Amino acid sequence: MSERAGGIEGLASEVRLYVFRQAAETGRVPQPAQTASALRRTEDEIREALKHLAAGKVLILAPNDGNIWAANPFCAVNSGFRVQANGRTYWGICIWDSLGIPVALGKNAVITAPCGDCGDPMSLEVRDGRLVRSEGVIHFAVAAHHWWDNIGFT
Amino acid sequence: MLLFRSEEHVDRWCLARDLQRGALLTPEQGWQLANGWYKDKLKPDWRRHTLEETEALLKDVGLTGPFWNLRD
Repeated sequence: MSERAGGIEGLASEVRLYVFRQAAETGRVPQPAQTASALRRTEDEIREALKHLAAGKVLILAPNDGNIWAANPFCAVNSGFRVQANGRTYWGICIWDSLGIPVALGKNAVITAPCGDCGDPMSLEVRDGRLVRSEGVIHFAVAAHHWWDNIGFT
Repeated sequence: MLLFRSEEHVDRWCLARDLQRGALLTPEQGWQLANGWYKDKLKPDWRRHTLEETEALLKDVGLTGPFWNLRD
């Protein structure tokens, strides 16, 4: 691997900034091929950097193909937790991350999420840095110490 | 973590999965948690919270007790 930009730590930092900025600016989490092209690196180099970031719990990789599942709070796929903000649609992997999107962006947002039980759509609104409208309750099924046993089910 | 219409819906969801109820938060607590966790995420000098910082955040949001213990 190239040693430019300070080895794996330097490259990982460069990848982190690119991935999160792209996700924030476009609503789409860039995958390795796009990141490699943008940073003029090989896809293998980018995948190594992503593994490094995932090991540090900076983002979450999909279990099979090594693509990014979530650059938290931004989810790479339609998760059902929709966040309308900044004139775009974003996705969070859970209600915590969905609330984290307007925080990270510093923008107003309307969050639509299904009831975990019946699936009925529910809505929350963030305006001027405050949660101004909400409904329902949030449930954590897993105790905090075990969140990272399976971060997809907490 | 999921959003539910009510505590009744939480209990029905848990029952269907043979799970015990975990912990409930108000949406406002979830908002405060998200604020503490994600406010710096896009900044170049962002770093993960330390264990102590995470514990302090949970405490600030009113999340205390064994369920929220981050240590062994």
